[in-house]
Amino acid sequence: MFDEDSENEVSGAATDAGRRALMLGAVGASAVLTVRPALAQSAVSVLNCQIPVPDPARAGQYIAADGTVVAPGTVGAFVPAPRPFTGQEVKQALSGLNLPGTSYTQNQAYLNYIRRLQYGQSGFTCFASLQMPGR
Amino acid sequence: MGASTYAASLPFKSVALDGLSAIYHGASGATHVVAEPVPQILEALGGDTLTLAELLARLGADYDLDDDAEAGLSARLDELVALGLVIAR
Repeated sequence: MFDEDSENEVSGAATDAGRRALMLGAVGASAVLTVRPALAQSAVSVLNCQIPVPDPARAGQYIAADGTVVAPGTVGAFVPAPRPFTGQEVKQALSGLNLPGTSYTQNQAYLNYIRRLQYGQSGFTCFASLQMPGR
Repeated sequence: MGASTYAASLPFKSVALDGLSAIYHGASGATHVVAEPVPQILEALGGDTLTLAELLARLGADYDLDDDAEAGLSARLDELVALGLVIAR
């Protein structure tokens, strides 16, 4: 470990006898590997990210009470949400508030849908970000 | 290329790992595992904004440099700019 003002990295190298060669022109791999957390970019915008219910691929379909996506007009199921919910709204709903403009049972159905989101579905990354500690 | 000065993109934290270094870059949240001479270049930059010649002089004060040091350093700096660890102005 070093910090910027530390002499650790060059200790001994500053003396004439201990000078060490540094290969600046070596071809290739000065950067061997980069690890980028998949959700890092969402950290600052997590509360503004959006979760459509249902996702655009299934637009117009209804949401059953258990959160599954069913055919339009299915008895007991709910119409699609008129607009995507924000991360902030979903976060509040998970702690007990209703999603905006929803009845109690409609809110439960939508939340069940959101909980069932999987990787690749619109809104999944947003929902996953809400699960991270400290959010 | 073409930039006149270079500065390290702060903050970052570097940890030596058995010949390599892991550098956590605060601005991007990315962790880069790098080899020599990257940690040495970042350490030489410190918190300063330097020209290529000034940076080369700093490194030359501490290390024996190879014949193509200036071209090599320029290439390494381009890589570091691409990674986001160095800001060119």
